[in-house]
Amino acid sequence: MTTEREPALVARDIHKAFGKHQVLRGADLTVEPGQLVAVVGENGSGKSTLLKAVAGTLAVDRGEVRLGGELGYCPQDPVLNFNLTVDQHLQYFAAAHKLSSLERADELVELLGYEKYRETAAGDLSGGTRQKLNLTLALLHDPDVLLLDEPYQGFDWETYLRFWDLVDQLHERDKAVVVITHLVFEQERFDVLADLAEGRLTPRKAAKEHSHAGA
Amino acid sequence: MPAPDTLKSTPLYGQFPTALAFSVREQSRNRLAALLLVLFVPLWYLLMTSIAGDKDLEFKLYSTGQMLSVDGKHVTLITAGLNSLTMISGFVVFDAVRKALAFDKRLAFAGFRQSTLIGAKMLAIGIVAGSIALYTALALLIYWRPGFTGWATILGGFVTMTLTYGSLGLLLGVLVKNDLEGFFLIIMGGLTDTFLQNPLGNPAANKPVLQYFPSFGPMQFSVGGSLGDTVLWRYLGLGLIWAASFAVVGLIVFHFRTRSRRPTA
Repeated sequence: MTTEREPALVARDIHKAFGKHQVLRGADLTVEPGQLVAVVGENGSGKSTLLKAVAGTLAVDRGEVRLGGELGYCPQDPVLNFNLTVDQHLQYFAAAHKLSSLERADELVELLGYEKYRETAAGDLSGGTRQKLNLTLALLHDPDVLLLDEPYQGFDWETYLRFWDLVDQLHERDKAVVVITHLVFEQERFDVLADLAEGRLTPRKAAKEHSHAGA
Repeated sequence: MPAPDTLKSTPLYGQFPTALAFSVREQSRNRLAALLLVLFVPLWYLLMTSIAGDKDLEFKLYSTGQMLSVDGKHVTLITAGLNSLTMISGFVVFDAVRKALAFDKRLAFAGFRQSTLIGAKMLAIGIVAGSIALYTALALLIYWRPGFTGWATILGGFVTMTLTYGSLGLLLGVLVKNDLEGFFLIIMGGLTDTFLQNPLGNPAANKPVLQYFPSFGPMQFSVGGSLGDTVLWRYLGLGLIWAASFAVVGLIVFHFRTRSRRPTA
């Protein structure tokens, strides 16, 4: 591609404090379409706060976020309605996104392997299945920019691998994907690793050919 | 860069009917509240009337200033009904709204119109509150047959009361952080409010201060219609103002708590 493209996501100078505790101190993040970015950092470094700020679920003290397309956000803790079944969740979000079919939903449910729970209320699902539904809701409308906050918690190994197949497909289809991770062994899957430390992000190119990209 | 056209031509599910159906579902899935309604209401009537005995009581109708001499049992049945309604409808709506708040926020972020979500939620509260009030008014007939107009005014008072406490449940559901605080406020509020209106339990009943409580309007309306042969629409309106006020404040808070906070340039 020779034409200059708009970035899929630009977050600039994001500041956020909780009381006196300054979590983000001018974090910047730019993600191009088709880029797969990992946000890495210690516990409590503000990774989830950053994603919430970009997604708009948390008000920031200062900063600016620009999106080049539709956003899908998968929060770390599943946000579901325990009284509604899996299918009802899909219908509710299909209505939200004004989708004309549940084709994509069916694909995702099948890919993540939880078809047999479609009639089950979210409150009766296991933690792993809730997380699958949580992820499905973020992907339902085929967004251009995806923010995934440790999206595979509670997944078994098989589902974990399928999750990465799914991310690879999105990657190939030019979607921008940001994943919070702290698993060193999977860092080679990413195009860019962005280290979050002291409230700022420092991107580095992931050395895909290296077996370990630890600091 | 929207999703492919095939995904977006005609929506498969309308936002309003979807939100209405699921809001009614989440509010009516409260098994404890259903059990309370079915078992507690008739038992509560029985218990309260046996405590009341057959004493006559003086009850002040504020529209006319008239003191009605009424059967204590009848007034007590009305306050018992109002009282159980405050708890059940407050509990049902509070629980459903509080548990679904984060989910509703996610829906709003996904493109659900907030006004549609709010409208559907309010209508669902109306449907659920109306059903609860109807059942409670029907259960009252086991103990007392006040005649059709009398019963209809009691039902009117009951519906207004459930709407008021349903709306209070909505308000607390979007404000309060944990279950206990909300339940405590609803139970204490409902008990105090309805108990004070009954001259049997409260020697200070009939005092002007009672006018400033939410159950004042429904109580006057129900007693006026069933025991005083007057239909006091103004008092029904007063009750509805309480309901509307709680609802409006609750919905404004809901709107703020579910809006996007993304900092755009």
